[in-house]
Amino acid sequence: MSRGLLLILWGWMVIWSVLSGRLDLLLRGVFHSLVGASGAVLLAAGLLLVIRHRRRREATRWPWLISAALGCLVLLIPPNPSFSDLASNRPQGLPEPTELAFVLPPEQRSLTEWVRLLRSQPDPQLVDGNPVIISGFVWRQPEGPPLIARLTVRCCLADATPAGLAVAWPEDAEPKANQWLAIQGRMTVAPRHGEPTAVVVPTVIKPIPRPERPLEP
Amino acid sequence: MERVATAWAIFQGLLLEAIPFLLLGVVIAGLARWLVPQGAWISRLPRHPVLAPITGALMGFALPACECGNVPVARRLLASGAPLGTGFGFLFAAPVLNPIVLASTWAAFPDQPWLLIARPLGAFLLAILLSLLLAQLPEAQLLEAALLSERRLSQPLRKLDLLQRGSGLIGAPLPASTAPRPQRPSLRDVLDQSSREFLDLLALLVLGCVIAATVQTWLPRSWLLAIGGAPTGSILALMLLAVVVSVCSSVDAFLALGFAAQVTPGALLAFLLLGPVVDLKLAGLFTVLMRPRAIAITAVAASLGVLLIGQWVNLWQL
Repeated sequence: MSRGLLLILWGWMVIWSVLSGRLDLLLRGVFHSLVGASGAVLLAAGLLLVIRHRRRREATRWPWLISAALGCLVLLIPPNPSFSDLASNRPQGLPEPTELAFVLPPEQRSLTEWVRLLRSQPDPQLVDGNPVIISGFVWRQPEGPPLIARLTVRCCLADATPAGLAVAWPEDAEPKANQWLAIQGRMTVAPRHGEPTAVVVPTVIKPIPRPERPLEP
Repeated sequence: MERVATAWAIFQGLLLEAIPFLLLGVVIAGLARWLVPQGAWISRLPRHPVLAPITGALMGFALPACECGNVPVARRLLASGAPLGTGFGFLFAAPVLNPIVLASTWAAFPDQPWLLIARPLGAFLLAILLSLLLAQLPEAQLLEAALLSERRLSQPLRKLDLLQRGSGLIGAPLPASTAPRPQRPSLRDVLDQSSREFLDLLALLVLGCVIAATVQTWLPRSWLLAIGGAPTGSILALMLLAVVVSVCSSVDAFLALGFAAQVTPGALLAFLLLGPVVDLKLAGLFTVLMRPRAIAITAVAASLGVLLIGQWVNLWQL
Protein backbone atom coordinates (compact mmCIF):
# COMPACT_ATOMS: atom_id res chain seq x y z
CA MET A 1 0.00 0.00 0.00
CA SER A 2 2.91 2.34 0.62
CA ARG A 3 3.72 2.61 -3.09
CA GLY A 4 0.17 3.75 -3.76
CA LEU A 5 0.38 6.38 -1.03
CA LEU A 6 3.70 7.63 -2.35
CA LEU A 7 2.30 7.96 -5.86
CA ILE A 8 -0.71 9.83 -4.45
CA LEU A 9 1.66 12.16 -2.60
CA TRP A 10 3.65 12.90 -5.76
CA GLY A 11 0.51 13.25 -7.86
CA TRP A 12 -0.96 15.67 -5.34
CA MET A 13 2.30 17.61 -5.17
CA VAL A 14 2.30 18.03 -8.94
CA ILE A 15 -1.40 18.92 -9.15
CA TRP A 16 -1.10 21.34 -6.23
CA SER A 17 1.77 23.06 -8.00
CA VAL A 18 -0.53 23.62 -10.97
CA LEU A 19 -3.59 24.67 -8.95
CA SER A 20 -1.74 26.99 -6.60
CA GLY A 21 -0.24 28.89 -9.53
CA ARG A 22 3.33 28.29 -8.44
CA LEU A 23 4.13 26.76 -11.81
CA ASP A 24 3.85 30.29 -13.23
CA LEU A 25 6.93 31.09 -11.20
CA LEU A 26 8.84 27.98 -12.23
CA LEU A 27 7.99 26.85 -15.74
CA ARG A 28 7.09 28.21 -19.10
CA GLY A 29 3.32 28.12 -19.71
CA VAL A 30 3.54 25.63 -22.55
CA PHE A 31 4.54 22.88 -20.08
CA HIS A 32 1.78 23.48 -17.52
CA SER A 33 -0.82 21.17 -19.05
CA LEU A 34 1.76 18.40 -19.46
CA VAL A 35 2.72 18.70 -15.79
CA GLY A 36 -0.95 18.72 -14.74
CA ALA A 37 -1.68 15.61 -16.82
CA SER A 38 1.26 13.76 -15.27
CA GLY A 39 -0.06 14.65 -11.79
CA ALA A 40 -3.49 13.23 -12.69
CA VAL A 41 -1.90 10.00 -13.99
CA LEU A 42 0.17 9.61 -10.81
CA LEU A 43 -2.88 10.24 -8.63
CA ALA A 44 -4.96 7.69 -10.54
CA ALA A 45 -2.19 5.08 -10.45
CA GLY A 46 -1.71 5.67 -6.73
CA LEU A 47 -5.42 5.26 -6.00
CA LEU A 48 -5.51 2.03 -8.02
CA LEU A 49 -2.59 0.62 -6.07
CA VAL A 50 -4.07 1.63 -2.72
CA ILE A 51 -7.40 -0.01 -3.56
CA ARG A 52 -5.71 -3.20 -4.78
CA HIS A 53 -3.19 -3.56 -1.98
CA ARG A 54 -5.15 -2.13 0.92
CA ARG A 55 -4.60 -5.25 3.04
CA ARG A 56 -1.08 -5.99 1.99
CA ARG A 57 1.96 -4.71 3.87
CA GLU A 58 5.02 -4.15 1.74
CA ALA A 59 8.51 -2.96 2.41
CA THR A 60 9.21 0.66 1.52
CA ARG A 61 12.66 1.49 0.22
CA TRP A 62 14.45 4.31 2.01
CA PRO A 63 15.27 6.31 -1.16
CA TRP A 64 11.52 6.45 -1.80
CA LEU A 65 10.96 7.85 1.68
CA ILE A 66 13.73 10.44 1.41
CA SER A 67 12.46 11.66 -1.93
CA ALA A 68 8.90 11.67 -0.56
CA ALA A 69 10.11 13.83 2.34
CA LEU A 70 11.46 16.30 -0.22
CA GLY A 71 8.12 16.08 -2.03
CA CYS A 72 6.38 17.06 1.23
CA LEU A 73 8.79 20.00 1.61
CA VAL A 74 7.90 21.11 -1.91
CA LEU A 75 4.25 21.11 -0.84
CA LEU A 76 4.98 23.03 2.36
CA ILE A 77 7.59 25.53 1.19
CA PRO A 78 6.57 27.46 -1.91
CA PRO A 79 9.30 28.77 -4.22
CA ASN A 80 10.39 32.32 -3.57
CA PRO A 81 13.46 32.98 -5.70
CA SER A 82 15.41 36.20 -5.63
CA PHE A 83 15.04 37.37 -9.21
CA SER A 84 17.81 39.91 -8.75
CA ASP A 85 20.22 37.28 -7.45
CA LEU A 86 19.24 34.89 -10.24
CA ALA A 87 19.73 37.58 -12.89
CA SER A 88 23.13 38.54 -11.47
CA ASN A 89 24.26 34.95 -11.93
CA ARG A 90 23.32 34.84 -15.60
CA PRO A 91 24.58 36.65 -18.68
CA GLN A 92 22.05 38.59 -20.71
CA GLY A 93 21.39 36.69 -23.90
CA LEU A 94 18.02 37.20 -25.50
CA PRO A 95 17.35 35.79 -28.96
CA GLU A 96 16.87 38.05 -31.94
CA PRO A 97 13.78 40.27 -31.75
CA THR A 98 10.55 39.41 -33.43
CA GLU A 99 9.35 41.83 -36.05
CA LEU A 100 6.56 42.78 -33.68
CA ALA A 101 8.96 44.78 -31.52
CA PHE A 102 9.61 47.15 -34.41
CA VAL A 103 6.00 47.40 -35.47
CA LEU A 104 4.50 48.09 -32.03
CA PRO A 105 4.11 51.69 -30.91
CA PRO A 106 6.80 52.45 -28.28
CA GLU A 107 4.35 52.74 -25.40
CA GLN A 108 3.05 49.22 -26.09
CA ARG A 109 6.46 47.55 -25.97
CA SER A 110 7.16 45.39 -22.95
CA LEU A 111 10.49 45.62 -21.18
CA THR A 112 11.70 42.48 -22.93
CA GLU A 113 10.70 43.86 -26.32
CA TRP A 114 12.60 47.05 -25.57
CA VAL A 115 15.73 45.08 -24.72
CA ARG A 116 15.43 42.96 -27.86
CA LEU A 117 14.92 46.04 -29.97
CA LEU A 118 17.92 47.83 -28.50
CA ARG A 119 20.10 44.78 -28.94
CA SER A 120 19.27 44.44 -32.61
CA GLN A 121 19.43 48.19 -33.21
CA PRO A 122 22.40 49.36 -31.17
CA ASP A 123 22.07 53.08 -32.08
CA PRO A 124 20.16 54.47 -29.08
CA GLN A 125 19.55 57.80 -30.83
CA LEU A 126 16.80 56.11 -32.87
CA VAL A 127 14.63 55.66 -29.76
CA ASP A 128 15.54 58.94 -28.06
CA GLY A 129 12.38 60.60 -26.74
CA ASN A 130 10.12 57.54 -27.19
CA PRO A 131 7.47 57.07 -24.50
CA VAL A 132 8.04 54.08 -22.22
CA ILE A 133 5.49 52.15 -20.12
CA ILE A 134 7.09 49.06 -18.59
CA SER A 135 7.12 46.92 -15.47
CA GLY A 136 9.79 44.71 -13.96
CA PHE A 137 11.85 43.95 -10.90
CA VAL A 138 14.81 45.92 -9.60
CA TRP A 139 18.03 44.19 -10.60
CA ARG A 140 20.88 45.09 -8.29
CA GLN A 141 24.21 45.56 -10.10
CA PRO A 142 27.65 45.00 -8.60
CA GLU A 143 28.67 48.38 -10.03
CA GLY A 144 26.48 51.29 -10.98
CA PRO A 145 22.79 51.95 -10.46
CA PRO A 146 20.27 49.09 -10.55
CA LEU A 147 18.40 48.15 -13.72
CA ILE A 148 14.73 47.42 -14.24
CA ALA A 149 14.56 43.85 -15.52
CA ARG A 150 12.55 40.80 -16.46
CA LEU A 151 13.50 37.13 -16.65
CA THR A 152 12.77 35.13 -19.79
CA VAL A 153 12.57 31.34 -19.81
CA ARG A 154 12.54 28.72 -22.55
CA CYS A 155 11.89 25.83 -20.22
CA CYS A 156 12.12 26.41 -16.47
CA LEU A 157 13.75 28.69 -13.95
CA ALA A 158 17.03 26.82 -14.51
CA ASP A 159 17.45 28.50 -17.88
CA ALA A 160 16.11 31.93 -16.92
CA THR A 161 17.87 34.72 -18.81
CA PRO A 162 17.68 38.35 -17.66
CA ALA A 163 16.76 41.33 -19.80
CA GLY A 164 17.50 44.67 -18.17
CA LEU A 165 17.09 48.36 -19.03
CA ALA A 166 19.09 51.24 -17.55
CA VAL A 167 17.06 53.74 -15.54
CA ALA A 168 17.93 57.29 -14.54
CA TRP A 169 16.57 56.93 -11.00
CA PRO A 170 15.35 60.14 -9.35
CA GLU A 171 17.56 61.32 -6.49
CA ASP A 172 14.95 60.52 -3.84
CA ALA A 173 14.26 57.02 -5.23
CA GLU A 174 15.65 54.07 -3.30
CA PRO A 175 14.89 51.03 -5.41
CA LYS A 176 15.30 47.82 -3.44
CA ALA A 177 16.50 44.63 -5.10
CA ASN A 178 13.63 42.34 -6.21
CA GLN A 179 11.04 45.10 -5.75
CA TRP A 180 8.51 45.14 -8.61
CA LEU A 181 7.89 48.53 -10.19
CA ALA A 182 5.71 49.97 -12.94
CA ILE A 183 7.52 52.79 -14.70
CA GLN A 184 6.21 55.43 -17.05
CA GLY A 185 8.60 57.84 -18.69
CA ARG A 186 10.57 58.38 -21.85
CA MET A 187 13.70 57.02 -23.39
CA THR A 188 16.78 59.17 -23.53
CA VAL A 189 20.44 58.70 -24.33
CA ALA A 190 23.07 59.01 -21.60
CA PRO A 191 26.64 57.78 -21.24
CA ARG A 192 26.95 54.53 -19.31
CA HIS A 193 30.30 52.76 -18.99
CA GLY A 194 31.71 55.28 -21.44
CA GLU A 195 29.19 54.54 -24.21
CA PRO A 196 25.95 56.23 -25.24
CA THR A 197 23.18 54.05 -23.85
CA ALA A 198 19.39 54.10 -23.99
CA VAL A 199 18.20 55.03 -20.50
CA VAL A 200 14.65 55.25 -19.17
CA VAL A 201 13.88 58.58 -17.54
CA PRO A 202 10.88 57.90 -15.29
CA THR A 203 8.10 60.37 -14.72
CA VAL A 204 6.03 57.94 -12.63
CA ILE A 205 7.40 55.05 -10.54
CA LYS A 206 4.81 52.89 -8.82
CA PRO A 207 5.51 49.82 -6.65
CA ILE A 208 3.41 46.85 -7.81
CA PRO A 209 3.00 43.30 -6.53
CA ARG A 210 4.88 40.55 -8.36
CA PRO A 211 2.79 39.64 -11.43
CA GLU A 212 1.06 36.26 -11.44
CA ARG A 213 3.19 35.28 -14.43
CA PRO A 214 6.51 37.02 -13.85
CA LEU A 215 8.47 34.98 -16.41
CA GLU A 216 8.35 35.90 -20.08
CA PRO A 217 8.90 33.57 -23.05
CA MET B 1 19.39 32.99 2.62
CA GLU B 2 18.38 34.52 -0.72
CA ARG B 3 20.64 32.02 -2.47
CA VAL B 4 19.05 29.08 -0.67
CA ALA B 5 15.57 30.30 -1.67
CA THR B 6 16.74 30.65 -5.26
CA ALA B 7 18.29 27.16 -5.26
CA TRP B 8 15.04 25.76 -3.82
CA ALA B 9 13.03 27.37 -6.62
CA ILE B 10 15.41 26.09 -9.32
CA PHE B 11 15.17 22.60 -7.79
CA GLN B 12 11.38 22.73 -7.97
CA GLY B 13 11.48 23.99 -11.55
CA LEU B 14 13.82 21.23 -12.70
CA LEU B 15 11.88 18.53 -10.88
CA LEU B 16 8.41 19.58 -12.03
CA GLU B 17 9.60 19.91 -15.60
CA ALA B 18 11.26 16.47 -15.58
CA ILE B 19 8.50 14.45 -13.87
CA PRO B 20 6.17 14.29 -16.92
CA PHE B 21 8.99 13.06 -19.15
CA LEU B 22 10.11 10.47 -16.62
CA LEU B 23 6.54 9.27 -16.27
CA LEU B 24 6.15 9.11 -20.04
CA GLY B 25 9.25 6.95 -20.28
CA VAL B 26 8.02 4.59 -17.55
CA VAL B 27 4.59 4.34 -19.20
CA ILE B 28 6.14 3.56 -22.60
CA ALA B 29 8.42 0.95 -21.02
CA GLY B 30 5.41 -0.61 -19.25
CA LEU B 31 3.28 -0.58 -22.39
CA ALA B 32 6.08 -2.15 -24.40
CA ARG B 33 6.30 -4.92 -21.82
CA TRP B 34 2.56 -5.52 -21.96
CA LEU B 35 1.91 -5.12 -25.69
CA VAL B 36 4.95 -6.93 -27.01
CA PRO B 37 5.56 -10.20 -25.20
CA GLN B 38 9.12 -10.57 -24.04
CA GLY B 39 11.39 -12.15 -26.58
CA ALA B 40 9.01 -11.94 -29.50
CA TRP B 41 10.85 -9.11 -31.21
CA ILE B 42 13.93 -8.67 -29.04
CA SER B 43 15.40 -11.84 -30.51
CA ARG B 44 15.09 -10.38 -34.02
CA LEU B 45 17.22 -7.32 -33.24
CA PRO B 46 20.60 -7.36 -34.98
CA ARG B 47 23.52 -8.37 -32.76
CA HIS B 48 26.21 -7.05 -35.05
CA PRO B 49 28.49 -4.69 -33.06
CA VAL B 50 27.77 -1.77 -35.41
CA LEU B 51 24.25 -2.57 -36.59
CA ALA B 52 22.99 -3.02 -33.02
CA PRO B 53 23.72 0.57 -31.86
CA ILE B 54 22.47 1.93 -35.19
CA THR B 55 19.17 0.11 -34.64
CA GLY B 56 18.97 1.40 -31.07
CA ALA B 57 19.73 4.97 -32.14
CA LEU B 58 17.03 4.90 -34.81
CA MET B 59 14.50 3.58 -32.28
CA GLY B 60 14.65 7.04 -30.71
CA PHE B 61 12.15 8.23 -33.30
CA ALA B 62 9.53 6.13 -31.51
CA LEU B 63 9.96 7.98 -28.21
CA PRO B 64 9.32 11.70 -28.28
CA ALA B 65 10.87 12.36 -24.88
CA CYS B 66 13.99 13.85 -23.41
CA GLU B 67 16.88 12.18 -21.62
CA CYS B 68 14.89 11.43 -18.43
CA GLY B 69 12.21 9.46 -20.25
CA ASN B 70 14.49 7.21 -22.22
CA VAL B 71 16.29 5.75 -19.16
CA PRO B 72 13.39 3.46 -18.15
CA VAL B 73 12.87 2.44 -21.79
CA ALA B 74 16.56 1.62 -22.24
CA ARG B 75 16.50 -0.32 -18.98
CA ARG B 76 13.49 -2.31 -20.17
CA LEU B 77 15.25 -3.07 -23.46
CA LEU B 78 18.38 -4.33 -21.69
CA ALA B 79 16.42 -6.26 -19.07
CA SER B 80 14.49 -7.98 -21.87
CA GLY B 81 17.72 -9.26 -23.37
CA ALA B 82 18.19 -6.77 -26.21
CA PRO B 83 21.76 -6.54 -27.53
CA LEU B 84 23.87 -4.20 -25.40
CA GLY B 85 24.59 -2.02 -28.42
CA THR B 86 20.89 -1.54 -29.12
CA GLY B 87 20.09 -0.59 -25.51
CA PHE B 88 22.96 1.86 -25.23
CA GLY B 89 22.52 3.19 -28.77
CA PHE B 90 18.96 4.03 -27.83
CA LEU B 91 19.96 5.49 -24.45
CA PHE B 92 22.48 7.91 -25.89
CA ALA B 93 20.85 8.86 -29.20
CA ALA B 94 17.14 8.93 -28.40
CA PRO B 95 17.25 12.27 -26.52
CA VAL B 96 18.31 13.96 -29.77
CA LEU B 97 17.07 11.65 -32.52
CA ASN B 98 13.41 12.18 -31.86
CA PRO B 99 10.83 14.33 -33.65
CA ILE B 100 10.29 16.86 -30.85
CA VAL B 101 13.97 17.62 -30.33
CA LEU B 102 14.68 17.89 -34.04
CA ALA B 103 11.69 20.21 -34.47
CA SER B 104 12.76 22.42 -31.55
CA THR B 105 16.31 22.63 -32.94
CA TRP B 106 14.90 23.67 -36.28
CA ALA B 107 12.59 26.23 -34.61
CA ALA B 108 15.48 27.73 -32.65
CA PHE B 109 18.03 27.80 -35.49
CA PRO B 110 16.14 28.02 -38.80
CA ASP B 111 18.95 30.14 -40.27
CA GLN B 112 21.71 27.65 -39.41
CA PRO B 113 21.03 24.59 -41.59
CA TRP B 114 24.43 23.08 -40.78
CA LEU B 115 23.34 22.73 -37.13
CA LEU B 116 20.15 20.91 -38.13
CA ILE B 117 22.30 18.27 -39.80
CA ALA B 118 25.26 18.33 -37.42
CA ARG B 119 23.23 17.81 -34.23
CA PRO B 120 21.46 14.55 -35.16
CA LEU B 121 24.53 13.31 -37.03
CA GLY B 122 26.81 14.10 -34.07
CA ALA B 123 24.40 12.46 -31.61
CA PHE B 124 24.22 9.41 -33.86
CA LEU B 125 28.01 9.08 -34.10
CA LEU B 126 28.45 9.69 -30.38
CA ALA B 127 25.87 7.02 -29.53
CA ILE B 128 27.59 4.47 -31.74
CA LEU B 129 31.02 5.35 -30.33
CA LEU B 130 29.83 5.05 -26.72
CA SER B 131 27.95 1.82 -27.41
CA LEU B 132 30.96 0.24 -29.10
CA LEU B 133 33.16 1.30 -26.20
CA LEU B 134 30.83 0.04 -23.46
CA ALA B 135 30.28 -3.24 -25.30
CA GLN B 136 33.99 -3.99 -24.71
CA LEU B 137 33.29 -4.37 -20.99
CA PRO B 138 32.02 -7.71 -19.68
CA GLU B 139 28.32 -7.45 -18.80
CA ALA B 140 29.09 -8.09 -15.14
CA GLN B 141 31.32 -5.02 -15.01
CA LEU B 142 29.02 -2.90 -17.11
CA LEU B 143 25.45 -3.42 -15.95
CA GLU B 144 23.95 -2.60 -12.57
CA ALA B 145 23.50 -5.73 -10.44
CA ALA B 146 19.68 -5.88 -10.45
CA LEU B 147 19.52 -5.17 -14.18
CA LEU B 148 22.11 -7.87 -14.82
CA SER B 149 20.07 -10.45 -12.90
CA GLU B 150 16.90 -9.46 -14.73
CA ARG B 151 18.71 -9.64 -18.07
CA ARG B 152 20.08 -13.11 -17.35
CA LEU B 153 16.60 -14.36 -16.52
CA SER B 154 15.45 -13.37 -19.97
CA GLN B 155 18.32 -15.03 -21.81
CA PRO B 156 18.44 -18.66 -22.97
CA LEU B 157 20.39 -20.82 -20.54
CA ARG B 158 22.62 -21.89 -23.43
CA LYS B 159 24.14 -18.40 -23.40
CA LEU B 160 25.09 -18.47 -19.73
CA ASP B 161 27.70 -20.47 -17.90
CA LEU B 162 26.93 -22.53 -14.83
CA LEU B 163 27.84 -19.82 -12.32
CA GLN B 164 25.80 -17.22 -14.15
CA ARG B 165 22.78 -19.51 -14.17
CA GLY B 166 23.14 -20.15 -10.47
CA SER B 167 21.82 -23.70 -10.90
CA GLY B 168 22.28 -26.85 -12.97
CA LEU B 169 24.39 -29.99 -13.07
CA ILE B 170 27.92 -30.21 -14.38
CA GLY B 171 27.98 -32.34 -17.47
CA ALA B 172 24.21 -32.49 -17.79
CA PRO B 173 23.03 -31.59 -21.30
CA LEU B 174 20.90 -28.48 -21.61
CA PRO B 175 17.52 -28.69 -23.23
CA ALA B 176 17.53 -27.68 -26.90
CA SER B 177 15.60 -24.51 -26.23
CA THR B 178 15.43 -23.16 -22.73
CA ALA B 179 14.46 -19.59 -23.57
CA PRO B 180 11.42 -18.47 -21.61
CA ARG B 181 8.26 -18.61 -23.68
CA PRO B 182 6.84 -15.19 -24.45
CA GLN B 183 4.10 -14.41 -21.98
CA ARG B 184 2.00 -11.30 -21.77
CA PRO B 185 2.01 -9.98 -18.19
CA SER B 186 -1.27 -8.81 -16.74
CA LEU B 187 -1.94 -5.08 -16.52
CA ARG B 188 -1.78 -5.42 -12.73
CA ASP B 189 1.75 -6.79 -12.94
CA VAL B 190 2.73 -4.02 -15.32
CA LEU B 191 1.32 -1.38 -12.94
CA ASP B 192 3.12 -2.99 -10.01
CA GLN B 193 6.45 -3.07 -11.77
CA SER B 194 6.08 0.36 -13.38
CA SER B 195 5.20 2.00 -10.06
CA ARG B 196 8.33 0.52 -8.45
CA GLU B 197 10.41 1.62 -11.40
CA PHE B 198 8.97 5.14 -11.32
CA LEU B 199 9.63 5.56 -7.60
CA ASP B 200 13.18 4.23 -7.95
CA LEU B 201 13.94 6.60 -10.81
CA LEU B 202 12.17 9.52 -9.16
CA ALA B 203 14.38 9.18 -6.07
CA LEU B 204 17.44 9.42 -8.31
CA LEU B 205 15.96 12.28 -10.29
CA VAL B 206 15.34 14.20 -7.06
CA LEU B 207 18.98 13.69 -6.12
CA GLY B 208 20.13 14.90 -9.55
CA CYS B 209 17.91 17.98 -9.35
CA VAL B 210 19.27 18.85 -5.90
CA ILE B 211 22.85 18.68 -7.22
CA ALA B 212 22.05 20.61 -10.41
CA ALA B 213 20.17 23.39 -8.56
CA THR B 214 22.95 23.74 -5.98
CA VAL B 215 25.75 23.93 -8.54
CA GLN B 216 23.78 26.31 -10.75
CA THR B 217 23.07 28.72 -7.93
CA TRP B 218 26.62 28.97 -6.64
CA LEU B 219 28.51 28.79 -9.95
CA PRO B 220 28.15 32.10 -11.84
CA ARG B 221 27.26 31.29 -15.40
CA SER B 222 29.06 34.39 -16.63
CA TRP B 223 32.36 32.72 -15.63
CA LEU B 224 31.67 29.98 -18.13
CA LEU B 225 30.65 32.26 -20.96
CA ALA B 226 33.50 34.70 -20.32
CA ILE B 227 35.86 32.42 -22.23
CA GLY B 228 33.34 31.87 -25.01
CA GLY B 229 35.48 33.49 -27.71
CA ALA B 230 38.45 31.10 -27.57
CA PRO B 231 37.92 28.07 -29.84
CA THR B 232 38.87 25.29 -27.40
CA GLY B 233 38.01 27.24 -24.26
CA SER B 234 34.53 27.97 -25.57
CA ILE B 235 33.86 24.29 -26.27
CA LEU B 236 35.00 23.25 -22.79
CA ALA B 237 32.99 26.05 -21.18
CA LEU B 238 29.80 25.16 -23.02
CA MET B 239 30.30 21.46 -22.26
CA LEU B 240 30.53 22.30 -18.57
CA LEU B 241 27.48 24.53 -18.88
CA ALA B 242 25.50 21.69 -20.50
CA VAL B 243 26.40 19.35 -17.64
CA VAL B 244 25.46 21.92 -15.00
CA VAL B 245 22.27 23.38 -16.47
CA SER B 246 20.63 19.96 -16.97
CA VAL B 247 17.68 21.19 -19.02
CA CYS B 248 15.75 18.73 -21.17
CA SER B 249 16.95 18.11 -24.71
CA SER B 250 13.53 19.14 -26.01
CA VAL B 251 14.19 22.77 -25.05
CA ASP B 252 17.96 23.11 -24.81
CA ALA B 253 18.16 24.55 -28.34
CA PHE B 254 16.12 27.57 -27.20
CA LEU B 255 18.46 28.05 -24.27
CA ALA B 256 21.46 27.81 -26.60
CA LEU B 257 19.88 30.45 -28.80
CA GLY B 258 20.41 32.96 -25.99
CA PHE B 259 24.19 32.75 -26.15
CA ALA B 260 24.70 31.47 -29.69
CA ALA B 261 26.13 34.81 -30.82
CA GLN B 262 28.72 34.86 -28.02
CA VAL B 263 30.31 31.46 -28.61
CA THR B 264 31.99 29.54 -31.42
CA PRO B 265 29.91 27.19 -33.63
CA GLY B 266 31.78 24.17 -32.26
CA ALA B 267 30.91 25.21 -28.71
CA LEU B 268 27.26 25.61 -29.64
CA LEU B 269 27.16 22.11 -31.11
CA ALA B 270 29.06 20.72 -28.11
CA PHE B 271 26.39 22.15 -25.78
CA LEU B 272 23.63 20.54 -27.84
CA LEU B 273 25.39 17.17 -28.03
CA LEU B 274 26.74 16.65 -24.54
CA GLY B 275 23.76 17.79 -22.43
CA PRO B 276 21.43 14.98 -23.59
CA VAL B 277 24.08 12.35 -22.77
CA VAL B 278 25.76 13.63 -19.62
CA ASP B 279 24.36 16.06 -17.09
CA LEU B 280 24.03 16.35 -13.32
CA LYS B 281 20.34 15.50 -13.37
CA LEU B 282 21.11 12.22 -15.17
CA ALA B 283 23.94 11.21 -12.85
CA GLY B 284 21.61 9.39 -10.47
CA LEU B 285 19.36 7.95 -13.16
CA PHE B 286 22.26 6.20 -14.88
CA THR B 287 22.93 4.17 -11.72
CA VAL B 288 19.90 2.00 -12.51
CA LEU B 289 21.62 0.97 -15.73
CA MET B 290 25.35 0.94 -15.22
CA ARG B 291 27.99 0.42 -12.59
CA PRO B 292 29.94 3.49 -11.42
CA ARG B 293 32.98 2.59 -13.52
CA ALA B 294 30.89 2.34 -16.68
CA ILE B 295 29.22 5.68 -15.88
CA ALA B 296 32.65 7.27 -15.48
CA ILE B 297 33.80 5.78 -18.79
CA THR B 298 30.64 7.10 -20.46
CA ALA B 299 31.17 10.61 -19.06
CA VAL B 300 34.84 10.76 -20.07
CA ALA B 301 34.35 9.22 -23.52
CA ALA B 302 31.33 11.39 -24.30
CA SER B 303 33.24 14.51 -23.25
CA LEU B 304 36.24 13.60 -25.38
CA GLY B 305 34.05 12.71 -28.36
CA VAL B 306 32.09 15.97 -28.10
CA LEU B 307 35.30 17.98 -27.70
CA LEU B 308 36.69 16.43 -30.88
CA ILE B 309 33.47 17.04 -32.81
CA GLY B 310 33.41 20.65 -31.55
CA GLN B 311 37.03 21.22 -32.57
CA TRP B 312 36.39 19.82 -36.00
CA VAL B 313 33.34 22.06 -36.46
CA ASN B 314 35.37 25.09 -35.38
CA LEU B 315 38.05 24.26 -37.93
CA TRP B 316 35.39 23.92 -40.59
CA GLN B 317 33.17 26.86 -39.66
CA LEU B 318 35.62 29.51 -38.37
